Amino acid sequence: MSVVRPFDKLPVLNSAAILMVGTDEDLQQQLAQTILKEKKDFKISIHLATSLPLPAERDHIRPRIDLIVFMINVQSKYSFKNIEASLAHVDANFFLGKVCFLVTGVGRVNRCSVEMSAVRKLGEAYCSPLIYCELELEGIRISTAQRLLRMLQICAGHVPGVSALFFSSLMRSSNDE
Amino acid sequence: MAAPRRATQRAAPSTAPAAAGPGAAKASVAGVEQKLDVLTLVRLREQLKQQFMECSTVVDAGEESIPDQVMEEGLIEATVEELEREMEQAKISFQNKTLALHRVQIMDALRTKLRQNDDDSKLILETIKRILMLSTAAIEFQKQAREMEEKLNDIKRKRLSLKQAGEKKLLQIHTMKKKQKEELEGIEVGEMLKRIRRNLQKETEMTTLIQNIFQSIIIGSRVNWAEDPALKAIVLQLEKNVALI
Repeated sequence: MSVVRPFDKLPVLNSAAILMVGTDEDLQQQLAQTILKEKKDFKISIHLATSLPLPAERDHIRPRIDLIVFMINVQSKYSFKNIEASLAHVDANFFLGKVCFLVTGVGRVNRCSVEMSAVRKLGEAYCSPLIYCELELEGIRISTAQRLLRMLQICAGHVPGVSALFFSSLMRSSNDE
Repeated sequence: MAAPRRATQRAAPSTAPAAAGPGAAKASVAGVEQKLDVLTLVRLREQLKQQFMECSTVVDAGEESIPDQVMEEGLIEATVEELEREMEQAKISFQNKTLALHRVQIMDALRTKLRQNDDDSKLILETIKRILMLSTAAIEFQKQAREMEEKLNDIKRKRLSLKQAGEKKLLQIHTMKKKQKEELEGIEVGEMLKRIRRNLQKETEMTTLIQNIFQSIIIGSRVNWAEDPALKAIVLQLEKNVALI
């Protein structure tokens, strides 16, 4: 099956899996390392991919994916188009809070080749929160890793009383008021 | 198309307290591990409960109810609107409650601070007193402003009514004047007409009389008026005039 579904497999006890999709492999590796260095009390498995669909032959080994992070580099149109194409291979049930968009490269405004309005519309169309970060800086990387870790905990159901559906509160911006 | 790369990394669970102290007494270590195990078990239980709830919710949501009748579009739209309205209400009430909670928290913090009775709290007290004074002054001025506005409105209303009365009076005067003039003219015209009629009548009577006299003179003089065209014209004319009247 080429479509990633949220609840097709049983969860493994005390563990969670995060899937990161993006064209920038170095940044992905760095962020993955930072996430692993964080203090946590459950098993975490990070899957990195440049695009979906994931190859079908490894499907039975793969655990249940709890959170998908799409990394968009605002400075390259290719990454944006790649992410848009990959979004078609994600099941609709994922977009109830288990998907998040990570937007990098916003710091250098004169090298942005993707319109910010297009990114924002993507986030609104898929009902998922956008997180802006500059992953080259150590401090921001660590804080993003902590944030993603917390989101992963909630998406995997480790936090009683809080469900992934609450992430819609992250999408409310000051423009809405 | 692009070959996805997979790298799986696993991190060991960092149950650091359990791994700490290899030199500690065996019994205490065992006891600590025991307690932590219970704690971990309880935590895992909570996790499993949450995950189970999520999965069952998804299953419930996935069930499709087969409508045995064709539901109208309008009905569906109405229910959707109703639900949206309820959601809005819930959001509004939540925001109000958060606001109220924030206010209560702030008031409580202020109160505890004031009880401490140090420099800061004196400043706070001063500020509060000043706020009170300004608010009462503002209320007073607002009241006065409202009263003046009321007076102004009254005066305006009176002026309007006076103007309307004035207009009415003027209209009355106008109509009365017009009526008088018409009457006057009517009378005059009537008078003139009567006079003219009387004159006309007098003239016609006189003309008739004079015609009759001429006729009798001509006939009485036994002149053959049919021969003379002038005399003929006169007699015929007279006949005509007499016939007309």
